Amino acid sequence: MVRNFFYFIIFGLLFACKPDDVTPPPAPAETARILVNPIFGGVPLLLDSIYQGPSGIRIKVSDIKFYTTYLTNQNNTFSEVAYFDFREKGNLLLEQVADYTKFSSLSYILGVDSSLNHDDPSAFPNNSPLNIMNAGSMHWGWNTGYIFISVEGKADTLVDGVDNFDLSFSYHIGTDLYQQAMSFSNLNWVKTAAHQHTLAFNLDMESFFFNPSQPINIPSEPFTHSGAGLGALTQKVAFNFKNALQPQ
Amino acid sequence: MIRLLFILLGLIVVSSCGKDKVGYKPTPYQLNIPSHFPDMNIPADNPMTVEGVELGRFLFYEKRLSGNDQMSCGTCHTPYTSFSDSAKYSTGIDGIKGNRNAMALINLGWDSFFFWDGRATSLEQQILGPVPNPIEMHLSWKEAISKLKKDTYYRNQFYKAFGVEDFDSTHAAKAIAQFIRTMISGSSKFDVMYKIENNKPLNASEQAVSIDPEEWAGYDLFKSLNGADCFHCHNGPLMRVAKFSNNGLDFSFLDLGRGAITNNPNDHGKFKVPTLRNIALSAPYMHDGRFKNLDEVIEHYSSGIHASPTIDPLIEFSSQGGVQLDAQEKYLLKRFLMTLTDNSFINNPDFQDPN
Repeated sequence: MVRNFFYFIIFGLLFACKPDDVTPPPAPAETARILVNPIFGGVPLLLDSIYQGPSGIRIKVSDIKFYTTYLTNQNNTFSEVAYFDFREKGNLLLEQVADYTKFSSLSYILGVDSSLNHDDPSAFPNNSPLNIMNAGSMHWGWNTGYIFISVEGKADTLVDGVDNFDLSFSYHIGTDLYQQAMSFSNLNWVKTAAHQHTLAFNLDMESFFFNPSQPINIPSEPFTHSGAGLGALTQKVAFNFKNALQPQ
Repeated sequence: MIRLLFILLGLIVVSSCGKDKVGYKPTPYQLNIPSHFPDMNIPADNPMTVEGVELGRFLFYEKRLSGNDQMSCGTCHTPYTSFSDSAKYSTGIDGIKGNRNAMALINLGWDSFFFWDGRATSLEQQILGPVPNPIEMHLSWKEAISKLKKDTYYRNQFYKAFGVEDFDSTHAAKAIAQFIRTMISGSSKFDVMYKIENNKPLNASEQAVSIDPEEWAGYDLFKSLNGADCFHCHNGPLMRVAKFSNNGLDFSFLDLGRGAITNNPNDHGKFKVPTLRNIALSAPYMHDGRFKNLDEVIEHYSSGIHASPTIDPLIEFSSQGGVQLDAQEKYLLKRFLMTLTDNSFINNPDFQDPN
């Protein structure tokens, strides 16, 4: 009786200690990311650092932010929305699980597409860049919608060798009128980790400010908020930014 | 022998099937978030419970959290001032004054940094600060918790809220954070204006709210780029953006603000942008309480701006000293600022001293 009881206990313990079935771990997901590297004069741009334009004017950029929406290649959607905030997020525009081979070409709206631009900013999911908690100052708070492009900083308008930086500039591009469609092909995705590919863009801020065909005259054109009275400057800023943003 | 074995097995079975402790059944708390607000992110390690919120309310007004049993959080964050302090600087239990104005506690559940300089990155972290601060409540948390443990109410309530008997400062901070997350203000006249402007439905009581043309005109000025130009830093349903800003108070800085935290000269003189909700109730204004009333605040932005190397680029008229409002514009702007008052918030019985 006692022996049987011990057998019972031992069998019970053996079964209780049966290891879980071993299943192989899932293969790591392939991720694709897009970087945007602001540059000035061919070297990486640092926020709050001093750069000099062709006329001697010196500038310090304090913020660069922009939205892109509907990043697609034909029927393949890479992302509905992506938000670049150089100060808060560095040069990462977007990273997600995706098959990069489907995106050798990429089209997107530089800005927030009108189908999203006027939605309730509180109603987007918490993790959406369009949620008011993430958009912050990039939402205008009434029905004109989001700021698509924001470039802010200071300029030293006196070429006297003294750091004045007496003039603030802020270029805020928004309203449906200034959405800009962009499209690139033959993109160069680079393998940057075992399961990661990266597509890099340059954002040439020297070209943005001092585009040879239509430079921004900062002292006389220090700001626009895309209002009707500043249409020409707004158009120029939007155009220059679009052209400054190019795949590497 | 067999009987001994059965007794042993019985003991093992009993001990392995130990039941949950009776009395720890926290009730999930449903936040009443206005329809035009974003969702609130609740920390995974501090879910909202009815018991936690109640405990937090008691702790918020608990004077035994101070060295002389005379001061609570509520002493410097009184309901009638929208949970701020009407004094320029708050005075601690030892009679020492601070050097910054106590911030209003409104909708903090949506904030991601706290204090004027943003040195705390969660409500729970922020709450741990004032109790041991020698110029505030001046009591170590160890002593504070020791006092609370002598009180049957707190022993029971900490257990009900967190299932712990040996509670500590982290549990106290979590409870107060839960209470503060319930302090939601979204029922001002401005909220009706915001909904109308954004085509959001009004409930019956909101439909009965009358907004006069001067208030609308003040709102237009508030948003106008060539008017008061306030909206860059104060927009959305929360009436603020999450950033630090130098709003042109000084040419040079006695208080470095955010710069003292980051040690970055580019942050010198920058402070957390506060909400404008209940602004008419929360005087004095600015991080150092330098402005006694709204008229002085409006005058600052109109003609008192001091340009400095770190001034916010969005203070676009700094070179002119401000936005240069005339008397009528100042009046209209003030009328709008008054619409941000939410009396139901400051009078909410759930936010008052339970004692």
